[in-house]
Amino acid sequence: MHKTVLFALVILSGLSAGALAANQVIHQQGRVFSSESVTIKKGEALTFVNDDSIPHNLMSATKGSEFNLGSQAPGMSTDVTFKETGDVQVICAIHPRMKMMVKVTD
Amino acid sequence: MSGFFPRRSTMLATAVAAAGFGAIGFASIGLGAVVVGETRRIDLGAKAAPGIDAVKAQYKRPATIPFPKENPYTPEKAALGKKLYFDTRLSVSMAQSCASCHSPGLGWGDGLAVGVGHGMAKLGRHSPTIVNAAWGAIFMWDGRLATLEEQALGPIQAAGEMNMPLEQLMERLVSIGEYKPLFNAAFPDEGMSIKTLAKAIATYERTVVSERAPFDAWIEGNEKAISEEAKRGFAVFNGKALCSACHEGWNFTNDGFQDIGLPSKDVGRGEFVPGVVKMQHAFKTPGLREIARRSPFMHDGSLATLEAVVEHYDRGGVDRPSRSDLMKPLGLTAQEKSDLVAFMKTLTSNLSPTAVPVLPR
Ligand SMILES: [Cu+2]
Repeated sequence: MHKTVLFALVILSGLSAGALAANQVIHQQGRVFSSESVTIKKGEALTFVNDDSIPHNLMSATKGSEFNLGSQAPGMSTDVTFKETGDVQVICAIHPRMKMMVKVTD
Repeated sequence: MSGFFPRRSTMLATAVAAAGFGAIGFASIGLGAVVVGETRRIDLGAKAAPGIDAVKAQYKRPATIPFPKENPYTPEKAALGKKLYFDTRLSVSMAQSCASCHSPGLGWGDGLAVGVGHGMAKLGRHSPTIVNAAWGAIFMWDGRLATLEEQALGPIQAAGEMNMPLEQLMERLVSIGEYKPLFNAAFPDEGMSIKTLAKAIATYERTVVSERAPFDAWIEGNEKAISEEAKRGFAVFNGKALCSACHEGWNFTNDGFQDIGLPSKDVGRGEFVPGVVKMQHAFKTPGLREIARRSPFMHDGSLATLEAVVEHYDRGGVDRPSRSDLMKPLGLTAQEKSDLVAFMKTLTSNLSPTAVPVLPR
């Protein structure tokens, strides 16, 4: 019993440390990504913040790394974790000028 | 753009998984190379609304036309492109040119609800204007073409439109003796090819720019250039009616895709991103320059007047999952509606006449 609790605590603290160790934040104000390209380590997350005045719909169609955040309202923030190395293009489905590259390294 | 797009993780699924577990929730979803975590509300702080001068500054006309590095402007190219644009021999029937559906006499559209193609058959969507195409980020109502060069070749080959296989078109152009020297002058290194045909037409199209309208004079400081109604309409456009969330900047579009709730079965952009709910029934936001000359309106030509368009937005359209979150009943007053229309009419320039070129024989 004691062991299980300790185990859970280790996991919890590990995870919250991960969550608190400030992810790189990508802003979307003015219908542009705040970075054209970012490099992160495998297993790390990016925080996509909609600090714009209108909804965005971030997604990737990069093979094997597809995701879709759906409509993200202003004032919302979503973490996205990238678990495999390679380049992942992130776009906004709504706004064709919004494009960025996430370079995931070992 | 790949047509297949599996939806690996949804906000709903992750929100359910994350409920009650805080940061642990997203760690429990371990499939796939990308894992979407929970979405949370953050405090952006209060932003002061920009003043009228700051808003007006966003609408200033650009001084120059942007041409891509891969296809820079030359007068020879534009002149050749203009001849090709107006040449009906680009269609298999020899009866239709680019200008048939994108006519300078009709705001560079065709004035019809939906276009008419090969054999006078109706097409599925309204012929868009080519005015200010130089600033476009993506082309066609559904965004299926990335550049104006690609766009130029689309309708020529489309079976329902000009129905002209490109190889056959090149043979035909070679047989028209006066074309070859024009191609050689415009493309000294490349000569006559499908690629240079597209580059010439795109270059000409980029020169089709809406001229200065009363609105531009007002933006630049002449308070008498537009009426008080139109000024109020501009405020409603940027405020209560939310028009500028999509129709932004000097050309009044950010080229975004939105389902504005028109009751049509056409999925538009959704054909290319089937897994993205908000792209179903979404169409590219058109610019509003010369809009008063471009009726009927919308991707399906279903609304005859600007008044009807304003009514549609005021009601908010069909409420369905794909409808843009920006669409909702607006509660505009009769005054606000007529002010909006007055404002849109200030975007009409005195387009100078376009001379139809003498075509090669
Ligand atoms: Cu966006």
